[in-house]
Amino acid sequence: MQPKTAFLSGVATCIVACSGAYAVDLTKAYESPNASKIIKKDLLKPAKKYTMPKTCKLEDPAAIERGKYIFHNLNGEDAKETPPEGLSKFIETKDKSGKVTKTAKQYGNCVACHNIEGAKGGGNIGPDLTTYRANFVDTKVRNTNFVYQKIADARIDNPKTHMTINLTSGLFSPSEICDLTAYVMATK
Amino acid sequence: MKGAIVATIVAVSIAFAGEQFAMSDADRAMYEEMLQNNPADIFVEEGGELFEEMIGGEVVMAKFLGIKEEKLPNYIAGFPRYIKKMGAVVGLDQVMQAILAEKKKKPLKLDDPKMFSMLAYVKSLANGEKINININADKHIKASYKLGEKTYMTQRGGRGLSCNSCHSKDIIGTILRTQPLPDLGDNASGGTWPAYRMTKSNLTTLQKRFQGCMENALLAVIPIGSKEMVALEVYVNKLATDKQKEIAIPGLKR
Ligand code: HEC
Ligand code: HEC
Repeated sequence: MQPKTAFLSGVATCIVACSGAYAVDLTKAYESPNASKIIKKDLLKPAKKYTMPKTCKLEDPAAIERGKYIFHNLNGEDAKETPPEGLSKFIETKDKSGKVTKTAKQYGNCVACHNIEGAKGGGNIGPDLTTYRANFVDTKVRNTNFVYQKIADARIDNPKTHMTINLTSGLFSPSEICDLTAYVMATK
Repeated sequence: MKGAIVATIVAVSIAFAGEQFAMSDADRAMYEEMLQNNPADIFVEEGGELFEEMIGGEVVMAKFLGIKEEKLPNYIAGFPRYIKKMGAVVGLDQVMQAILAEKKKKPLKLDDPKMFSMLAYVKSLANGEKINININADKHIKASYKLGEKTYMTQRGGRGLSCNSCHSKDIIGTILRTQPLPDLGDNASGGTWPAYRMTKSNLTTLQKRFQGCMENALLAVIPIGSKEMVALEVYVNKLATDKQKEIAIPGLKR
């Protein structure tokens, strides 16, 4: 290589990678993007205690139907069947300029960890929820508030839980937690 | 010939019954065939050529790292490491970026498929070596391990999950939607990536695999090469080091 070209290419690299010196600054010579901010924004809030809202209609067939749909599906993109009334597959958000973006609605995917009536490919990380009402509710081992709290924020019952946190994380609204509670507690 | 194929399928089905039941019988047969003939071998080979051409081969890398060439395999099996002149704990891909910069060559992005191939090649130089990350080597790697552990344990995202929610000791082996949850130490995750992923029909790196889990579990995906990603790699390599696992590149994954 000619000395002149070597010098020029050295300068060119320095513009992007050097801190003034002629040699390459190796501490800046590789990608190291910042992830701390992304993680900080994404952190789960501390465990929170809830009381089931009075507006929860546990015996309402429409609520049970919605709960069932949320329980068995992962998100609106993967869900095959049409959702029941009151649920949609996509969420539309408008930004300041009025531009609408459509994102898949996230559901509970509870079957990933739990078996339950009609489960397809149910997991076994969590307890089997089949005949839950007869086994746990009618026998007074569990009550509505326990189930609501468990689904909303499982850490109150078990600080080391492996279960998903569904209300404190902001993924679902209280009425969606009502729907899930209604479904789990219903005789199927 | 046909008889032989049927026999293989039967044998494989028995070997994998229970263990890999997320796979169909046909997939299992394909898996067995690929174990003999990993489709990613070609990427490793291509990576070797690129490594020679762009980096200058093992001599250059050993010199950059300040070690003898014959020490390279063992040294590679201890990555990520603190590299003083780079000022941080880094992966082998980042080392290659620094070599390119030092040689004033055209830079290559960490997520460039060429980089994945080169990474697979370089790591394969350590095939058969025990994964040997030493988290007490210096204060930097110690801190990186701590950050890795913290990142692994941090609950976040729409479902409030952490890596540990699905890969902790008390939960591995249970089933998440037809998939057995793997122990990242027993699976030698630190020594089997880059791997061929059958579900993606492509070569994938460990950090890309981390991103896959983040995406599936609704954790905000963090970028490749960030100090948290390198730290996660340190943490996962430590799990495999504790289980005395060996490097075997390219891996073959579902
Ligand atoms: C990642 C795994 C996982 C997912 C996903 C999950 N659970 Fe659980 N669930 C568990 C585990 C584990 C337990 C056992 C208690 C504990 O550790 O908190 C549990 C316990 C429960 C219980 C209490 C059972 C009892 O009476 O003791 C209910 C009710 C429940 N889950 C409902 C749900 C619903 C509804 C969803 C979806 C919104 C869901 N779970 C999603 C893992 C999970
Ligand atoms: C909701 C559950 C879940 C969470 C959370 C999760 N994983 Fe996974 N992970 C899985 C499952 C299931 C597999 C196996 C999938 C398969 O068979 O392809 C897996 C596979 C892996 C593998 C490949 C294992 C191998 O064979 O080498 C790595 C590495 C990994 N996970 C790391 C992570 C890291 C790091 C995090 C956190 C950022 C994480 N996972 C979070 C469920 C999870």
